[in-house]
Amino acid sequence: MLVVVAYLVAARLAEVDLAALAAGVPRMAEWAAKAWPPSTQGLDTLLLRAAETVSMALLGTTLALVLAVPTAVLAARNLTPEPWLRMPVRWLLNVFRGTDAFVFAILFVAAVGLGPFAGVLGVGLHTWGSMAKLFAEAIEGLPAGPLEAVATTGASRLKVVSFALLPDALPGLTSVVLYFLEFNIRASTVLGIVGAGGIGQELKSSMDLLNFPRLFTILVVILALVTVVDQLSSRVRARLG
Amino acid sequence: MTDDLLGVCGLTHAYRGRPALEGVSFAVRPGEVVAVLGASGAGKSTLFRCITRLIEPDGGEVRLHGTDLLRLPRRSLGGARAEIGLIFQQFNLVRRLSARDNVLAGRLAEVPTWRVLARRFDPADEQLALACLDRVGLLAQADQRADRLSGGQQQRVAIARVLAQQSCVILADEPVASLDPAAARQVLDILRDIAREQGIVVLCSLHQVDLVDGFADRVLGLMGGALVLDVPVGAFDAAARTALYEPASKP
Repeated sequence: MLVVVAYLVAARLAEVDLAALAAGVPRMAEWAAKAWPPSTQGLDTLLLRAAETVSMALLGTTLALVLAVPTAVLAARNLTPEPWLRMPVRWLLNVFRGTDAFVFAILFVAAVGLGPFAGVLGVGLHTWGSMAKLFAEAIEGLPAGPLEAVATTGASRLKVVSFALLPDALPGLTSVVLYFLEFNIRASTVLGIVGAGGIGQELKSSMDLLNFPRLFTILVVILALVTVVDQLSSRVRARLG
Repeated sequence: MTDDLLGVCGLTHAYRGRPALEGVSFAVRPGEVVAVLGASGAGKSTLFRCITRLIEPDGGEVRLHGTDLLRLPRRSLGGARAEIGLIFQQFNLVRRLSARDNVLAGRLAEVPTWRVLARRFDPADEQLALACLDRVGLLAQADQRADRLSGGQQQRVAIARVLAQQSCVILADEPVASLDPAAARQVLDILRDIAREQGIVVLCSLHQVDLVDGFADRVLGLMGGALVLDVPVGAFDAAARTALYEPASKP
C-alpha cells in the first residue's frame, strides 16, 4: 500500500504525462527519419572533439589518482598513520563524491573559462572522492596476516607497505582506476553541454540547430568511442587476476 | 642460567579482565626445541603474541640475550623483533610475490629503504634468499608465486623467510595445523634441524600431541593461562598427556 502511494506521489512529482509521450514519439520518429543519411561533413572536427573528450577523461582520472592515493592511505583503517584524521578525510571525500562532475564543471567553467580544462578539473575532483573511497575499501579488504608477518621482521611501515601490501593490492587498485577511466569517458561526452569542451559541445550545438544528420553522426561517434574503451578496459582487467 | 637465550619470567596478561596468562616463566637454551601444548584457549597464542609485544603483556619479563624486551621503548622494538622470527598457521605469505621475494621480505629490516622501493636488492641478499630456499628444499620453486604453492610448500617458504631474517628465536604458532600429516612432519623436521644446525631457539605450539615425539626436546603445558607442565620430552608420558587435556583429571 505504502509502496503504491509512494509511486503515485513520485509520478505526480515527476510530472509523468503519457499524452505528452504519445505526442512526442512521432516527432522523434520524424527527427530520426530526417537524420538519414548522417552527415559526414566536418567529421575531422568531430574526431578532434572526441579526442578532446578522451583527453579530458584521461587527465581528470589521472588528477583524481594523484589526489586519491594519499587520501586513501589516510582513510584506510589498517593503514592510516593518524587514526583521528580518518573520519574527517572520509567526510571530505564524501563531499567530492556527492558533487557530480557536471556541477563541478559548471563551477570551473565560471572560474577558468569555457573549454575542456574546466572539464578536467570537474572530472578530477568528483572522481577523487569516489576513487579514494574505493581504494581505501580495497586496502581494508586485504588479509592482515602477511602485513603483520612482514612488520614483525622489524621492517619500517614504508617498507611493509611497498613490499607486502602493494603487490596484493595492485590488481584491485588498477581495476578501480580502469573503471573510472571508462566511466569518465562516458561522463565527459556530455560535459560539453555546460561549456566544458569535448564532443558534448558539438552535441549541444547540433541539437540547438536541429541538425539531425549531424546529431546522428555524433551519437555514432560517441557509441563507437564508448564501446572501444569498454572493450579495451575489460580486456586489461581480465588479465589482472 | 647464563647460557639461556630466551628467558620468560612471570609473564601476565588479562584479556577484558579475564586472565589469559598467569605468571608464565621458563628459559630456553640455544638449539633447544620446545613444544608448547594445551587445549584451545589455554594461552598458547597469547604467550607468543606477548613475547613479540603484538599484544602488550600486563607484567613480567621477556629476556632476549639478557635484554628485557618489555622495557624497550616501542621505537627501538624493531631491531629486537628482527631477532624473533614468526611462523603462522596461515603462513602469511604475500600471495602475489614469488617465493624468492617472500624470503627477501625477511631482509627488509636491514635493507635500505630505496632498495626496497626500487626492488633492487643487494646480490648478497639475493644469494642468501636462494640459500634459505635451498635449505627448505624449494630452490626449484624460487620464481613461483606464493599462492601457487601447496600449503606445506608455503609454510616452508615462511621458514625460509625466518632464516633470511637471521633470527635467533623462532616462534611457530600452530605451524602445521592446516597441513596434511606428511607435510606437517616435513615442516617440523626442518624446524628441528635448523635449530640444531644454527643454535636457534624454536618455540612451537601444536595441537596434535603425537607430533611432539621426534621433534621437541622439551614440552611446556599450558592450562587456563598457567604453565602446568615443563618436562623433557622423554618424561611426557601418557598420564601427562591425558592430564593436560582433561581438566577433570587435574589433581
